[in-house]
Amino acid sequence: MSNLLLISILTPAVFGLVLFLLPKKLPVVLQNTLASLGFGIPALIALKVFLDYTASGEAGFLFVSNIDTGLSNFGISLKMGVNGISAPLFLLAGIVGLAAGITAMVSVAERMKTYLALLLVMQSGLMGIFSTYDIFYIYFFHEIALIPTFIMIAVWGGQHRRAAAMEMTIYLTFGAMLSLAGLIGIYAMNNLGSFDLISLSAHLAENGLKDTLQRSLFGLLVFGLGVLVSLFPFHSWAPRGYSAAPTSVAMLHAGVLKKFGLYALIQVGLPLLGTGAVSWSFTLGILALGNLLIIGWVTMAQKDLKMMISYASVMHMGYIFLGIASLNSIGVSGAVFLMFAHGLSAALLFNLSIYVQNRCRSFYMDEMGGLGKHTPILAGFFMAAMMASVGLPGFANFWGEFSVFLSLWQWQPVFMILAIFGIVISAVYGLRAVSAIFFGKETESLEEVLKENPVKDLSWAERIPVVLLLVSLLVFGFFPRLASDSISKTTQLHILNESHTREEVQTLEAVPANTILEQTDSADSNAGGGHH
Amino acid sequence: MTSHFQIISLLVLPLLAAAIIAFFLRKSGKIAVGVSLASAALCSGITWLLLIKLPQEGIHFSARWIELGDLKVNFGFLLNDVSAVLLLVVTFVGFLIHFFAVEYSRRDESRARFYGGLSLFMFSMTGIVLADNLIMLFAFWELVGLSSYLLIGHYQFKPSAAKAANKAFIVNRIGDFGFLIGIVWCWWHFGTVDLVQLEAIAGGHAKELVAGIALLIFCGVLGKSAQMPLHVWLPDAMEGPTPVSALIHAATMVAAGVFLMCRVFFLFPEVSLEVISWVGAITAILAGFFAITQKDIKKILAYSTLSQLGYMVAGFALGTLGSHHGHDYGVGASLYHLTTHAFFKALLFLGAGSIIHATHHEQNIYKMGGLVSRMPVTFVTFAIGVLALCGIPGLAGFASKEAILNVAYEQNQIIFYMLLIGAGVTAFYMTRLFVVVFWGTPKTEHVGEAKENNWVMLLPLLILAFYSVFAWMSWVYPASLQPVLKASIPHAEGAMAIWLPIVSIAVAVTGVLLGWFVYGKSGEDDPFENSAKGAFNFINSKLWFDEVYSFIVNRIQQPIAEFLSLLDLVLIGGLGMRGSAGGVGLLGLVLRFLTTGNVHHYVFWFAGGLILCGIAIFGVQ
Repeated sequence: MSNLLLISILTPAVFGLVLFLLPKKLPVVLQNTLASLGFGIPALIALKVFLDYTASGEAGFLFVSNIDTGLSNFGISLKMGVNGISAPLFLLAGIVGLAAGITAMVSVAERMKTYLALLLVMQSGLMGIFSTYDIFYIYFFHEIALIPTFIMIAVWGGQHRRAAAMEMTIYLTFGAMLSLAGLIGIYAMNNLGSFDLISLSAHLAENGLKDTLQRSLFGLLVFGLGVLVSLFPFHSWAPRGYSAAPTSVAMLHAGVLKKFGLYALIQVGLPLLGTGAVSWSFTLGILALGNLLIIGWVTMAQKDLKMMISYASVMHMGYIFLGIASLNSIGVSGAVFLMFAHGLSAALLFNLSIYVQNRCRSFYMDEMGGLGKHTPILAGFFMAAMMASVGLPGFANFWGEFSVFLSLWQWQPVFMILAIFGIVISAVYGLRAVSAIFFGKETESLEEVLKENPVKDLSWAERIPVVLLLVSLLVFGFFPRLASDSISKTTQLHILNESHTREEVQTLEAVPANTILEQTDSADSNAGGGHH
Repeated sequence: MTSHFQIISLLVLPLLAAAIIAFFLRKSGKIAVGVSLASAALCSGITWLLLIKLPQEGIHFSARWIELGDLKVNFGFLLNDVSAVLLLVVTFVGFLIHFFAVEYSRRDESRARFYGGLSLFMFSMTGIVLADNLIMLFAFWELVGLSSYLLIGHYQFKPSAAKAANKAFIVNRIGDFGFLIGIVWCWWHFGTVDLVQLEAIAGGHAKELVAGIALLIFCGVLGKSAQMPLHVWLPDAMEGPTPVSALIHAATMVAAGVFLMCRVFFLFPEVSLEVISWVGAITAILAGFFAITQKDIKKILAYSTLSQLGYMVAGFALGTLGSHHGHDYGVGASLYHLTTHAFFKALLFLGAGSIIHATHHEQNIYKMGGLVSRMPVTFVTFAIGVLALCGIPGLAGFASKEAILNVAYEQNQIIFYMLLIGAGVTAFYMTRLFVVVFWGTPKTEHVGEAKENNWVMLLPLLILAFYSVFAWMSWVYPASLQPVLKASIPHAEGAMAIWLPIVSIAVAVTGVLLGWFVYGKSGEDDPFENSAKGAFNFINSKLWFDEVYSFIVNRIQQPIAEFLSLLDLVLIGGLGMRGSAGGVGLLGLVLRFLTTGNVHHYVFWFAGGLILCGIAIFGVQ
């Protein structure tokens, strides 16, 4: 089993390399077969790992193995394994990777061979992030995935691709550097001398870092990782970057790679820097509300479809950040669930938006309209994707958003009210987009386009990635326990110290009288185990 | 078949039908109709079977749906007497409307999509009815919003339909914004959202109740049951096909709000009920007045629906207010009116559908006329619906309206008189509609050539007409519904028992006579509009709700969005980014200045760096 994790990283890398090395005039069939294997095998492995993990009923890391990469002097080695937080995200990487791969193969791009090779390298990095518990390698795989992103945007991107790629590179490198400083700080400031997450949390639970140090390090992580996840006001790279990026890159980045920052915050920041998290949570919450309300409002004003979807994706990061900032088991579990759900729905929307744009030959929603008559299937899919994105029950996103709302009540009721207002905002821009694109009569400009290029509805090849993502959203929307059980088991392990710390830090805050019995129970056990 | 299996199949069948239609039958309208109709018929049959044998204590079973941290939500079914009433209404009226629509949608190219939407609606609505906890109920609540959105926007090439669909969804989401806060608050306050547990905790413990929770849950009702000030979406929703208006926007979905309140009646403390009763009463009377100036047959019925929903809401609030003083009439009175209203309003809408279908989609009543001889069956059944709605004794509407007036009289005299006047207004505008449509002469060729529709459309009309007459007699219902529909319905006591019906009959008859007097001989123009232009225009303004909202959206929200977008582009994106690029350059300049080559300086900087690191680690003491 543990080998499977390694295979899931190596397969895309190897197939990518093979594609790269093969001669230029490769038959398309061979090229697509190689790429399909490169994306398909990790997806299948991810599914198996995910199902096995959830079936195990465990909370800690499973399928553990340790591969010496010659850096053990520094306490670094490739430690493979997944827990309840990384397992669903590992599955997410597999699914979105496969969907993005198929989308890439369907699209007509120049130098397709190189493009697919780079995309496979990116996929390899993504599988890596969520299948190791060595902090160094989590970061390392992130970089492996990030670098091809820049190249692909700069070479294969759309409008203003150079500038967008440049901006994204500078911004994200800056964020990555800040967070690297924070991660190295954790490593350097204790005497364990290891990047191993399991031993680190065991070690730091006994000898926690000093409060001030925790605060500084968590601050570095909040802002460093915040930049990577487009936390307000460090989001400017995202809309421009995504709207310039080729679709499959936008799918993979917005869907999966962007989750790295949130993942590191939950998987590394919360268990290792508990007190730091408490002291930053209010700031983080305020910035997250910036994502929800300010960016939400900005999204309503967008006229370019891809820009709108990019801004919407930035907005939804606010919910996840709020869930993390709540620092209770409901909020953090909800954040992880929403990361998973948002990954699917964001990828789906980016995927569908390029189908729309290809047919309308326009970026602007004002120039579309009435497309539903010509492409009913595309309209149906797009509407479903939009509904998923605005958190309609039945799709996975609903559970994530709902539990985040619920978690905020105990911490900051005002934040909760403001956050829930987000459901109105997203409904406004979501439905406006649907009706602007598909309903009503064709605009004159669209009619001219249609005269010259009669549109067809989605081809079967185009439908495959869409169906893959949509079905995943529905499955986890109808049967959330598939993921939620293991998520909440693991987060409860992580949060155990946190909720206790928050109580200590905010002793003055009144405890609600009527919280349910189980909670007082768990709070008691926290109090018992947390004093050292 | 066990009852558990039956209940689950009520949910599975329509979902399955919707899924099959969406995935395989998009282009085969006829088969799609068959699938959807079969599912509706089965659900209706299963419901009858289920309710005949429903045990007194109801049926309750559930399984864990999700567990996220301390949040635990069940997927469960609770079929008790309250939900049994609505279940019967939804599946039975739902089936009749499915049947009616077979003929109505015959020429519709997107027939499959239409029936898929209907099945999706049946699935979501049944979910609301059976949900055993508030979170699950909310999930289906939103899904009902989705199906309503899809069906209002069915004629998607019409910009007005697309706009109305958006409006319905967004206004409902505004209501749900409050509802969601209420659910969260409820969860933290009572530690559960399970209906049975909630009743055990909150039922009868008035001090435990929080008015805030009740009013926030009522926000959901404001949206879904279209109470003021969130009523604006319902008249616009008439853009949808008429069977949809009958099913969703008259008989069932809009009643979901009333049902929700009845489902959690134990959560409402007195203060909240006072507020709610006023909202209901104001909606009842104002919407009644708004109906007077409408010329579109469906819009008249829509405002009438708003007004009747106001009765139900007020009836619930006042009756439950009474329950704090001993008896428990709120749920009974409002559910009773919900049921009879579902029958006669569905009848009226389908009657309107029958007319619209026969007159090639003419909806302006002043273009109609003379249909009495051309469509005799529609005429008779429509007349029964009108009489039932006006509250003429011997028909169902009389009994249920009487129940509401009765609790109103006991609890709040002002509201009682408002509702009484409202009843007169109802009789007035319905007489106007009836007279103008059926009497006189046809104004257009299509109306003149109108012929009675075939039996597929008439059979549902006849069945609904039967129920509009007899729905006040308990034998038309399965035995298990009798407790809630009979025992908990208020009856006037003492002297009231004599004069209350007399007064309300007198008011209704006055309304009818006045209507006949004003509109009896109208031609293509509205006599009221001609004779009292000022008053007509004032009522026709509908108190400028829509204007105010569109001002907020277009003149406030949109400019703010544009402004923030500009700010984001210029300040955060432009200045921030370019600024930080400039900043880095500046930093470079400064740093170059520091590179002096003098070791002493470097030691100095090094010490400074150490101090900074120290502050980061140890803080400033």
